[in-house]
Amino acid sequence: MTEQLIMLGLILVKLLLVFGVILSMAAYLVLAERKILARMQLRYGPNRAGPGGMMQPMADLIKLLTKEDFVPAQADKWLFLLAPGLSALTALLTFAVIPFGPPLQIFGQTVPLVICDLNIGLLYFLGLSSLAVYGMALGGWASNSKYSLLGAIRGLSQLISYELAMGLSVVPVVMMARSFSLTEIVLAQQQIPFALLNPPAFLIFLISIVAESKRIPFDLPESENELVGGFHTEYSGMRFGLFFVGEYINMVILGSMLTVLFLGGWSGPWLPGVVWFIIKVLAICFFFIWVRGSMPRLRYDQLMNFGWKVLLPLALLNVLITGAVLLWIG
Amino acid sequence: MPLLRDIKGSFQPFWVTLRNMFRKPVTVQYPEQRPELPERYRARLILTRDPDGAERCVACYLCSAACPVDCISLQAAEAEDGRRYAAWFRLNFARCIFCGLCTEACPTLAIQVTADFELAGRDPLKLVYEKEDLLVDHCGRQPDYNFYRQTGIGVTAPRGGNPGESPPVDVKDLLP
Amino acid sequence: MPTLTIDNQQVTVHDGATVFEAAEQLGIVIPHFCYHKALGAVGACRMCAVTVHAGIFKGLQMACLLKVEEGMVVTTGDPRSVEFRARVAEWQMLNHPHDCPVCDEGGECQLQEMTIAGGHGRRRYRGEKRTYNNQQLGPFIAQEMNRCIQCYRCVRTYRDYCGGRDFGVMGSRNRVFFGRFQAGPLESDFSGNIVDVCPTGVLTDKTYRFKSRHWDLQEAASVCPHCSLGCATLPGGRYRELQRVRSGINEQVNGCFICDRGRFGSSYVNHPDRPRQARLAEQPVTVVDALQQLAGQARELIETHGPEAVLLLGSSRATLETNWLLQRWAAELGCRPPLLAAHTPRHQAARVAAFDLADRLASLAEVRQADLLVLFAVDPLAEAPLLAVALRQAVRNGGRVLVYDPRPVELPCEFEHQSLTVLQIRNLLAEETVESTLLRELLDRAARPVLIGGGDLLGAGGLRHLQRLATKASSALRPCLVHPVLGGPNSFGSALLSPPEPGEDDLLTRLESGRVKMLVCLETDPLLEAPDGERFADTLTRLDELVVFDYLPTPLSVHATLFIPSTAPVEAAGSFINNEGRLQLFGRVIEPGLPIAVTGGGDHPPREFFTVTPGSDPQPAWQLLQQLLGGRADLQAVRQRMQVALPCLAGFAELQPGGPGLRAAAAVAPGRFEESLPEQPLGSLQLLVTPARYGSDLFSRYADKLAPRFSAAGIILNPQDAAERGLNAGERVILDTDAGSYRLPLTCHAGLAAGCALVENSAAFPHLVPGGELGFCQVSAEVAHD
Ligand code: SF4
Ligand code: SF4
Ligand code: SF4
Ligand code: SF4
Ligand code: FES
Repeated sequence: MTEQLIMLGLILVKLLLVFGVILSMAAYLVLAERKILARMQLRYGPNRAGPGGMMQPMADLIKLLTKEDFVPAQADKWLFLLAPGLSALTALLTFAVIPFGPPLQIFGQTVPLVICDLNIGLLYFLGLSSLAVYGMALGGWASNSKYSLLGAIRGLSQLISYELAMGLSVVPVVMMARSFSLTEIVLAQQQIPFALLNPPAFLIFLISIVAESKRIPFDLPESENELVGGFHTEYSGMRFGLFFVGEYINMVILGSMLTVLFLGGWSGPWLPGVVWFIIKVLAICFFFIWVRGSMPRLRYDQLMNFGWKVLLPLALLNVLITGAVLLWIG
Repeated sequence: MPLLRDIKGSFQPFWVTLRNMFRKPVTVQYPEQRPELPERYRARLILTRDPDGAERCVACYLCSAACPVDCISLQAAEAEDGRRYAAWFRLNFARCIFCGLCTEACPTLAIQVTADFELAGRDPLKLVYEKEDLLVDHCGRQPDYNFYRQTGIGVTAPRGGNPGESPPVDVKDLLP
Repeated sequence: MPTLTIDNQQVTVHDGATVFEAAEQLGIVIPHFCYHKALGAVGACRMCAVTVHAGIFKGLQMACLLKVEEGMVVTTGDPRSVEFRARVAEWQMLNHPHDCPVCDEGGECQLQEMTIAGGHGRRRYRGEKRTYNNQQLGPFIAQEMNRCIQCYRCVRTYRDYCGGRDFGVMGSRNRVFFGRFQAGPLESDFSGNIVDVCPTGVLTDKTYRFKSRHWDLQEAASVCPHCSLGCATLPGGRYRELQRVRSGINEQVNGCFICDRGRFGSSYVNHPDRPRQARLAEQPVTVVDALQQLAGQARELIETHGPEAVLLLGSSRATLETNWLLQRWAAELGCRPPLLAAHTPRHQAARVAAFDLADRLASLAEVRQADLLVLFAVDPLAEAPLLAVALRQAVRNGGRVLVYDPRPVELPCEFEHQSLTVLQIRNLLAEETVESTLLRELLDRAARPVLIGGGDLLGAGGLRHLQRLATKASSALRPCLVHPVLGGPNSFGSALLSPPEPGEDDLLTRLESGRVKMLVCLETDPLLEAPDGERFADTLTRLDELVVFDYLPTPLSVHATLFIPSTAPVEAAGSFINNEGRLQLFGRVIEPGLPIAVTGGGDHPPREFFTVTPGSDPQPAWQLLQQLLGGRADLQAVRQRMQVALPCLAGFAELQPGGPGLRAAAAVAPGRFEESLPEQPLGSLQLLVTPARYGSDLFSRYADKLAPRFSAAGIILNPQDAAERGLNAGERVILDTDAGSYRLPLTCHAGLAAGCALVENSAAFPHLVPGGELGFCQVSAEVAHD
C-alpha cells in the first residue's frame, strides 16, 4: 500500500518537476532566441526587463495575460477557444515517454527518470505528433479568416509530408535498437550514438523535426510577410500565448527526441545523465535558432518537392540499406 | 559548378551569423546614450515667423496637399490688413511620417523641421498639435525670408512699395 | 467639310472651324488664354501658336484665329511653336506678382498651368514689376489687378456676352485696367461669370475668399435649384460647408454661364438656423422613431377617419424621385393621391407645359438661335435670369425680341416693350385685338420663332392660349416653339407626375373641408410658397398632426408637430425636370452635417471624437420615404421602377449627372379649353406680384451671401394712376388686397402699364406670393392715425 503511495508520490513529483522545467525552459527559450538572433544581427535584443532582460518572459506573460482575449464575430467560437489548448497539451503530453536520465535509486527503489516508460514509446510519440497538428488546423479553420485558413492548410499538408519522412527515418533506429521503448533505445547507444552509426537517418530526422516544429525555413503556416500571422492571425492575448508556448515546448520535445533517438540520450562521460541530457537538448535548440538566423524561408513548392521527392525516397532507401547491413552483420 | 555553389551557399550563412554573434552590436542605448543626429534631421515640425516677427504661414494649403498621409489640416482667413493667415492649423503627429515634403512645398518657409524627435506619449490626442503648439517665435533654419516683401500685394509695404516694384499705375492716364 | 492633319492625325471638321477647334476634336489641348468656347477668339494672348507646314499661311500661326483649309498640315509640338509659347508665357509673367500662395485661383489657375506647360520656370527679366490699385467691386467679386494678363475675357463676358455695362477696360499701353470707372458694386446680374472666365486670380469669388483650394473641394455636377431653368452648376464644398458654386456646362441649357442668384445663393445649405434634428412635439427624437410615429399615426387616422384624413403634399422643390415615392406611399397607406405642389395656379400652369405644350418646347439653346422672340408676361431677370442672357445671344445673332408685359421689364439687350396689362395680354393671345394680327404676320415671316410665356402672370389659361397661338403659327416648314417659364426647379416634374386631368384638387379646399386630420408637407412651406398663406395658416389649427420634412428653417417647420430633417439638393443625388421638360440629374456634393466652421466656432475643430458627425441626421427625402415604404434604399432601383411606370422617363436609369439631360414630356392631346377671365372691379388696379431678383425663391431667401442684393419692400404704380389717387412717390401707401392689407412705400415708374400695381415678393415682403390667380387691389393714401 505504502509502496504504491510512494510510487504515486514519486510520479507526481516527477510530473511537477518536468512540467515546471519544460515550461520555464520554453519561456526562456523565447528570450534566448530573441537575444541570440539579436546578436547575430548586431543588436542587443531585449535588455530592459530585469538585469540583462532576464525578466522579459515574465513581462511577456503579464502582457499576454492582460491583453484582450478577442474572438472574431464570425468565428466558430468553441473550436476557436479550444484549439490553442489542444496545441499546447499535445506538445506537453509527448514528454511523458521521454527518458531524461538513467534510473535513480531512491528509498531503495529504482525510479526510472521517465514519467511513463511505455514499451511502444516511439509509436506514442509519432501518434501525438500527428495529433498536434489538430490544434493548428482547428485554430486556422475556426478563425474564419482567409489568412488563418491558408496557414492551416499549409500546415496540414506540410506536416503530412514530413511526418512520413520522419517516421521512416526512425525505422532504422528501431531496427538497430530492436525495441520501441525509448529507454531501450538510449541504452542501445551507450557506446556509439546512432547519429554516427546512421548519419543519413539522423539528417533526415533533423530536417523533419525542423519542419515539424514549423520554424524557418519551414515556417510557411505562419509566414508573416504573406499571411499576416498564418493560422494564429486572429488570436490575441493568452490564447495566442498558448500557441506560442506550444511551439517552444514542441521545440524542446523534438530536441529531446533527437537526443534520445540519435545522440545517445543521457549517456555521456563524467557528468550526471540528466545534465548531459539537458546539454544535448539545449545544443539542439541553439541549432534551431541558428538556422532561423541564417536561412531564408522556402517557397511552398520547394518545400513540397523537397519533402516528397528527396527526403521520402532517401528515407526509404536508408531503411532498405540499414536492413541489408543489419542482416549482413547478422 | 552549381551544386558546389549551392552547398557553399547553404552553409556560408551559418558561418556569417556565427561570426556576427561575437561582434559588438551597433545599437545605440537610448536614453542613456544620446544619438548623434545629422544636421538636417527631420523630426517635430514647427511654424516659424518671418524676420519681422509676424506669422510666416499664409495658409496656402500646399503643405496639406503635399502631405502623403494627409495629417495637416487648416483653414485660411483674412486679417484686417489683407494678410492671409491660418485661422487654425492642425498637425497630427500621430500620423506624420516626418518625410519633410510639407516643408519642401511651403512657399513661405513657414513650416520647418526640427531635430526634436522625442514625441512619444500614451495619449494620441496629445500628438494632435494645434497652431499654438506649432508656432514658435523664431525663424527656424531659414533666417531671412519674408514672403510679403516679395509679393505685389500691400501688406507689409504699401502697394508697389516692395523691392522690385514700380508704384501703382494711373489707369486714367492716356499718355503714350 | 475640310480635312486637315494635326500632329500626324487626320480630322475632318465643319466649314469655318478653326485649327483650335479641330485640335480639340482630336483631344489635343493647345495652350490658350483668351480663347473661350462661349466667347470665341480675339487673338490677344498669342499663347495658342502652332506651326503650319502646308496651307496658304505657313509658319507660326494663332490656332484660335486660323480657319481650317483643306489639306492643311499643322503641328503643335514643333520646336518653333514650343519656343514661341515659352516666350509668351515668359512675357505674361514679366509683371505677374509672386503671390500664388495667397491667391484664390492657385490650383485652378490657367496661368500656372500654361507657364508650366510652356516650360517657363525661371525669371530672367530683372526690371521692376508693374502694380495697380484695386477696386472694390461689391459683395461678390474680389479684384487683384496685379495678376492681370490682359486677355480681355472678363470684358467680353461681362459686356459682350451678358450685356453688363458698368465694367470695362481703361487706360492705354501696358497700363490697361479692367474694372469699373469708379469703385462700386457690379450691377449686372451675371457678374459672377467673370470669376469663372478670368484665367488668373484677378477676379475671384469674394464669398469664397480664402476658404479652400480647388483640390480640396468636393465637387459634383449639379443643377441650380433657384429657378425653373435648371442651369448646370458645379457646387463645391469642404468641411461639410457648401462654399461656392461654379457654372457647369450644358450646351442645351445655360451654355457656360449662370446668374448671380444661382452662383452666390447657395449658402441656404449652411443656414445657421437650419433644423437638423427630428422633433416630435418639440422634443428631439431619432429619425427612426419619428418615421415610426408618422407611419403609425397615418395608418391609425386613415383607419378611423377614412382616406381623406391624411393629406400628403409634395413639392416643386423636392426631387422627382421623392415626389414619385410620395405617391407610392400614399397608395400604400390607402389615402387620396398626394398633391405635388402647394401652389395650385403655378402647378396648373406647369401641367399645361408638361402636357399640352409637350411637343413644342424650346430649349435655351433654341432660344439663343431664334430670330424672333416674343415674350408674354415674362420678366426674365426676375423669373429666369439666364433667359435674359439667352435672349441677348439671339439679338447678337440678329434676332428680334418683343416683350408684352405690364412690368417695366429690363433686358441686357435691345428689345421692343409693349406695356400691356395681364388682361390685355390674354386678349392679345386669344387673338381678339389688332395687335394680334400684326403679331401673327411677324410670326409667319420668322424663320425660327419662339414664344416665351410666364406661367406666373399668364396662368394655365394663358399658357393654353399660347399653345394655340404656337400651333397656328407653326407651318409644315418650321415649328413655332414655346418656352414657358415656371415656378420652381421641379415644377415640370411635379406636373408630369400628376394626372393630366385632375379633379378639383386644391390644397386649401381639401384643408378647409375639415376632413384632413394630418398634413404631411414634403419640402414645402405653403405659408411662403403658396398664395393665400393666411388662409392656409387658419386651417392649420384644425389639424391634429402637421408633419414637415424640410432642410430650410421655414416658419412651417416651427409649427410642425413632427419634424423630420431632410437633405438639401447638394447633399444628396436626385433629379429635377426644368421648364422645357429636360430631366437632369445631380450628384451629391457634400455630406450633411454641421460645418467645421460651426462646430469649431471659427477655431480648430473640437478636440473630441465622436463616431457620428454632428448635425448629420438629415437624410434624403426619397430615402426617408423608402424607409416608410420598406425595402432597400437604392436610388438607382427607384429610377428603374420609375422608368417602367412612366414611359416618358425612358432612359432615366442610364442618365448621368452633368450631361445634357433627357427630354421628358408626355404629349397628351390638349384638354379642355375654357377660361373665364375675371371682371375688373371699378376703380381697382390689377395686382401684380413679381418675384424679386434676389430673395424671392426660398433658396435665395435663406442664402445670407445674397443679402446685400435683397430689395426693399415697396409698391410701384404708373405715375398716372398715382396722380389719380393723389399719391406721391416716396410716401407710404395702403395696399388692400383679398389677402389682407399692407403698408408699403410707393415708387412711380412710367414703364409700368397703367391700371396695375406691382409689388415684389422678397425676403423683405414675403406676404404676397407671385403666381396666384389674377387679383385686384386698391391703393390709397395712408390715413394718419396714432
Ligand atoms: S513631414 Fe511628411 S507626413 Fe509629416 S506633415 Fe510633413 S508632409 Fe506630412
Ligand atoms: S505650405 Fe507653408 S504657408 Fe502654406 S499653409 Fe503650409 S505652412 Fe502655411
Ligand atoms: S482681369 Fe482676368 S479675364 Fe480680365 S483681362 Fe485680366 S486676366 Fe483676363
Ligand atoms: S438662371 Fe435660374 S437656374 Fe440658371 S443659374 Fe440663374 S437661378 Fe439658377
Ligand atoms: S488663345 Fe489664341 S491668341 Fe489667345
